[in-house]
Amino acid sequence: MIRRKKILFWVLLQSLVVVNAAASQTLPVLEPVMEAPEFVLPDDGGKIHRLSDYRGKVVVLNFWATWCPPCRQEMPSMERAWEQLKNEAVVVLAVDVGESAATVFEFTGQYPVTFPLLLDSSGEVVNKFPVIGLPTTFIISPKGLVTHRAVGGRAWDDPELLQMLRAMRR
Amino acid sequence: MNMRDFQCLGLIRLGLGMGLAILCAVRAAVAAELITGTDEEAQLPFWEVRTEAMTLRLVQRLPDQTRGFFLARGFTALQADAIANSCLFQTVFHNISTQGQEGVLRYDLRDWHVNFQGDSRSVKTREHWRDAWSGEKVSPAARLALEWALYPTQQSYQAGDYNWGMTTFDMSPGSLFQLDVSWHQQGKRHTFTIDRIECAPDETREPKDSQ
Repeated sequence: MIRRKKILFWVLLQSLVVVNAAASQTLPVLEPVMEAPEFVLPDDGGKIHRLSDYRGKVVVLNFWATWCPPCRQEMPSMERAWEQLKNEAVVVLAVDVGESAATVFEFTGQYPVTFPLLLDSSGEVVNKFPVIGLPTTFIISPKGLVTHRAVGGRAWDDPELLQMLRAMRR
Repeated sequence: MNMRDFQCLGLIRLGLGMGLAILCAVRAAVAAELITGTDEEAQLPFWEVRTEAMTLRLVQRLPDQTRGFFLARGFTALQADAIANSCLFQTVFHNISTQGQEGVLRYDLRDWHVNFQGDSRSVKTREHWRDAWSGEKVSPAARLALEWALYPTQQSYQAGDYNWGMTTFDMSPGSLFQLDVSWHQQGKRHTFTIDRIECAPDETREPKDSQ
């Protein structure tokens, strides 16, 4: 009897925890869904990236800046997510807005990441997307449609978020 | 069922009942409340308006902190000083609702009012600054930094969304004022007045990690 009550209590407690976690790690749908604007940007190593080169994969496209606290905060979780997803047809691209390669290089000394850090020094690319504040992250479907937008940082290695990204490959 | 089982069941019922009562109280608490204190990260005073579905935190920014930020991004000393002395607050709106479309949070800084000594004025937005610097010699990198560092003039937040940014209230360092804030959520407009909010004084302190 007591054991059953303990289980019931544990289940109730867990359901409250799940509701709370779900509230903080959301991935809202972008309405209306839009076709991803094409762009060509260099990364911090000088390599050129064209968004359409990633067609057929899920693209996690993050707009950020080194001076932005929530941008810095979410970078390590984005790296951990990338580590888990890089062989599963999911790409992470982080576009720095308005800063130089030297500034981004300095940043990677403190926050080492292995996914591409693209440089939008003129702010031209960020203006093609519905970005109002940093960080903002878009999910682009394998067909090139922008389907989701997260305003503000997220814990990208949260199992539920990883599961959602995996599900978007279909 | 023995006596111990019976007592235990009673305790569980009481516990669940209290839990449900707390949840109901939280759900019913539509009215906003104000929390003040010292922000853990910035070690500076904050004012936070909170409801069951949103939080809005305003944290003082020291003029020196802001001066350093904009000097490092290409503004001249005079230009950085003009921004730094405009009473900046680090601002964070967070949609903590779980209500889907009903819970979408919207605000427009142009609806906010700064009240000071019987006078009411608007918040100084990105657009005001853009106009102010239009005739000035400011590098494109510096303009971009200012544009993105300032809090968006208007924004919509889905559940879980939030932004950080600087709001400027165009007051002298150390001024005490009253701030009327407003936002839309759960199908209606909400307003709240923060009394005696204080611009940071222009003093130098030990450096912190700054935006």
